[in-house]
Amino acid sequence: MDIQTLKEAWWLYLIGVLVSLFIIGGALFFAKKAYIRSKELKMGKEMIKKTVISSVSFSILPSIGIFIGVITMAGLLGIPLPWVRLSVLGALHYELLAVKIATDGITVLSLNIEDFVTIAFVMTIAIIWGALFTLFFFKKYQSKVIDKVDTSNKKSFANLLFQSVFIGLVSAFFGDAFSKIFSYDIKEIQNGLYTGNEIEGSTFVPIIVFVSAFIFMAAFDYLIQKKKMTWLENIQLSLSMVMAMTLAVLLGIGGIY
Amino acid sequence: MDYRSKMHFYGRIFTVLGIFVMFLIPVVTWIVTGIGPDFTRVATGVLALSIIFLPGGIVEVLTYGPILGTSGTYLAFITGNLVNLKIPCVMNAREIAKTQINTEENEVISTIAVASSTVTTILIMGLGVLMLLPLKPILESELLKPAFNWVISALFGALAYKYFKGHIKYTIAPMVVVIVLSIFIPDFVQANVVIVILIAAIIAIVFARLIYNKEMKKGEVQ
Repeated sequence: MDIQTLKEAWWLYLIGVLVSLFIIGGALFFAKKAYIRSKELKMGKEMIKKTVISSVSFSILPSIGIFIGVITMAGLLGIPLPWVRLSVLGALHYELLAVKIATDGITVLSLNIEDFVTIAFVMTIAIIWGALFTLFFFKKYQSKVIDKVDTSNKKSFANLLFQSVFIGLVSAFFGDAFSKIFSYDIKEIQNGLYTGNEIEGSTFVPIIVFVSAFIFMAAFDYLIQKKKMTWLENIQLSLSMVMAMTLAVLLGIGGIY
Repeated sequence: MDYRSKMHFYGRIFTVLGIFVMFLIPVVTWIVTGIGPDFTRVATGVLALSIIFLPGGIVEVLTYGPILGTSGTYLAFITGNLVNLKIPCVMNAREIAKTQINTEENEVISTIAVASSTVTTILIMGLGVLMLLPLKPILESELLKPAFNWVISALFGALAYKYFKGHIKYTIAPMVVVIVLSIFIPDFVQANVVIVILIAAIIAIVFARLIYNKEMKKGEVQ
């Protein structure tokens, strides 16, 4: 079997299907348990429905972005391996880095079966730490630390504590977009592999996208609160994202990247 | 067994199975072809990557665990794409449902949000693989590239409104710090988002505590 046949082998696609079914099965299992619990807690059906609709609509665009990651890596590794990797504990920047570290100097032409298996093992093992930590320590962490925080009193600091974590998280991504005004090095990818070449530059586009998404959200919020267009509530985030991303496309058409 | 203990039990089983499933491709390829990995390269590769991703993995569980809840954490730490999808998705869902972290209601909402998001991603990926030939030129087109290049900025920009609204005074300190970091060490900020999240979160918590104490004192005096 040569490498070209291997990386597109039918049984690798079969594994992809099995992995997808396993993940969907697990997600539905936990969702069902949560739904039953929601009934016991007398949470309204409407709230659950809202959660599902908003989460699905919210996830579509980022999921397309994740799928583009599969295409990015497909040149070197075929479809099934990136498909599985980005379905189970994956993230594109991690996978590309793993390929780079595991196969330094290897190109799509020189890749052999041993390289392929080596890459697959490195990608799989090195990302496992969060899952292992969850497996062994999460229960203890939850009972010893998280449960000590009382969020029932709305005036307590506990609610503000978690709010602050979110604010920190969002601020960090503002920084990620803002920092690109000062330096943004594009790592060249060819056939699913970092080539080692970097194009140095800077860009205003991500911060424009960030700020415009913020403004679109504010506008939708105005329509929901003041004009009582409550139907917008579940999709305002997705719509704001689409509009901000459309702005990025328009800037690109205008030659601004 | 109460609901949460049950979720830990099922979550642990799911995690073990998930780790097993992750190894299917390398192990089956090894068995079918009879060609194993280069163990030296596997060891050095895993070591090099673990230096970066082991602390990150632990910090992620510590930071995101409270947000995701019990089953949400087990599910999210097997399905991945945490910071770019699962966390913001849960943040959005709990804002809509108005649930408080560490409550049973929040546990339910975050689990359903992570599960819905997971199913959506898997279906889109499956659909994408099925329709790869017609989709590839569209998704890779120069025209659409900027849209998907900056999907994370769009996502967090929209979320920022929800979290900054009504909390402006708590956002000033972390924002000032990330702006300073971005100006002076932009490459570090881009390459170490997990660390920047941690720094910004700690600063946000410290300043929120200071503001909270001050307001409490003021309240007592009045």
